[in-house]
Amino acid sequence: MHSILPQVIVNSIIAGSIYALVGLGFTMIFRTAKFFDLGYGALTAVGGYMVFLLYKKFDFPLIVGVVIAIVITALIGLLMDKVIYTRLRERKASNMVLLVASLGAFTAIQAILAIFFTSQFQTLVKNGAPARVIQIAGAYITETQLIIVVTAILLTIGLVVLLRYTMLGKSIRAISDDVEVAKIVGINTQRVIGYVFFIGAAIAGLSGVLVGFDTGIEPTMGMALLLKGVIAAIIGGAGSIGGAVIGAFLLAFVENFAVLQVSGEWKDAIAFGLLIIFLLFRPKGIIGT
Amino acid sequence: MDYVIHLLILIGIFSILGLSLNLVVGYTGLLSITQAAFYGIGAYTTAILMRALGMNFFLSMLIGIVATIVISSIIGTVLSKFKDDYYALGSFGFNIIIYSVMLNWQGLTRGPLGLPGIGRPELFGLILSENGAFLILVIILTVFVFLLSQAITRSSFGRVLMAIREDEKVIQVFGYRTHSYKLLIFIVSAGMASIAGSLFASYITFIDPSSFVLMESIFILAIIILGGLANNKGAVLGAIIMILLPEALRFVGFPTEIAAQMRQVVYGVLLIILMIYRPQGVMGNYKL
Repeated sequence: MHSILPQVIVNSIIAGSIYALVGLGFTMIFRTAKFFDLGYGALTAVGGYMVFLLYKKFDFPLIVGVVIAIVITALIGLLMDKVIYTRLRERKASNMVLLVASLGAFTAIQAILAIFFTSQFQTLVKNGAPARVIQIAGAYITETQLIIVVTAILLTIGLVVLLRYTMLGKSIRAISDDVEVAKIVGINTQRVIGYVFFIGAAIAGLSGVLVGFDTGIEPTMGMALLLKGVIAAIIGGAGSIGGAVIGAFLLAFVENFAVLQVSGEWKDAIAFGLLIIFLLFRPKGIIGT
Repeated sequence: MDYVIHLLILIGIFSILGLSLNLVVGYTGLLSITQAAFYGIGAYTTAILMRALGMNFFLSMLIGIVATIVISSIIGTVLSKFKDDYYALGSFGFNIIIYSVMLNWQGLTRGPLGLPGIGRPELFGLILSENGAFLILVIILTVFVFLLSQAITRSSFGRVLMAIREDEKVIQVFGYRTHSYKLLIFIVSAGMASIAGSLFASYITFIDPSSFVLMESIFILAIIILGGLANNKGAVLGAIIMILLPEALRFVGFPTEIAAQMRQVVYGVLLIILMIYRPQGVMGNYKL
């Protein structure tokens, strides 16, 4: 008998990478648009279903299918910003109005997916392709899961580079600090926020695709992913890239080590328990100031 | 006729839920998305007590209210520390936690299998197994909750709630302990939702956790946002529209599976449109 510890650690890293992916996109939107964009969750499912349609139904080459799916998801994110959120921001609507509107978007998108693709659970992997498994230090990880971990690392680096070294990144940071000041110095805030929605939605789509290849897709998958991403972002320190990643891994490790004690169905309750503890005792998150 | 009675019963139950949530969201300005949890606690208490002990419906309903008051006072105490969108998120969390308990505490709730064979109310040896008689009970309780809501919102207590909604700091300066007010109205609201839960359990005679998911809380929120925030008649109007709307979709000829999803599309889009054009709802007095 060998210890299950390495496997629990690997599982935590995989889960942490997924939460980090979802949390990063959410954080990008949250730091600029400054509201809880719940519609973001439904976009993960959109990404998954676009790949399902293109790759599995229409037999597109994998990479082409994935890229098109992510672009479509990103465009839907941008469209949501232009049609819904921009108007609300211009009217100076409260955060709660934006939250309720995004809740509406979430509900509608999820149901539309269920109408077109049924609410059945589907897999993205084509039949007959067995998952390749790699063994590391006594723990197993599939190829897809390895890709998830690598993608999370690359995305984190990519976003840090974007925010630190590009004009767009500087504008995004300026808006995060203060929208009004950003406007005064001549930043077209609506346009920059539009880009952020595009990037955020692309990340949502990418996360949905990866999760789809790992476990599978269903129209309601967005809610679970969204909540984990939101929790990761908040306990890490809402608004910062590093915070979202730290929060994601903390959440994943707590969940995976907790299910050694209690059954796996309690994961969601544990995640929210963690969130509520943070909101009570450390509302700014781990690295928040 | 049975169909009409069925819809009226549902409208009654959801009016109670709408009225109860409106006290918290509409009058006090706290965006709570956890009403389905209290609705569920009421339903489960009634279901468990009636099945296991053969207890009278009305007694089980009262015990359900007490259980809900206890649980909601804990949840409310935690939530009263949060503000605005963090409040919404925290309340979200409690709905998911309570749902997890319903799903996983299998010894008590039988988890996803649900609890079948819940009895109908019995009053002076008269069993309300006829839907018509049950409807009368629903109407009586709905009217009771409506009048209670009216009484609360028109009292000085209700005026303090609205003051909290408009500007909490100012009312604190006048010496009101706003935390207690927010907690108290949250508990009252939860207790009302529990009545709706007891009625639902006894009417359908079967419950499982899927009736008390987060989506149900969002549905109840949609009812009051549509009907009108901070308006008790608006909450009832919202319930009428939201219950009848999917029926209309069914009459247009959508299959049941699609109709259920269409209902979600419609109320999702309604929420967006309302937020853009009329954030106070049809007859509301307060904009989020």
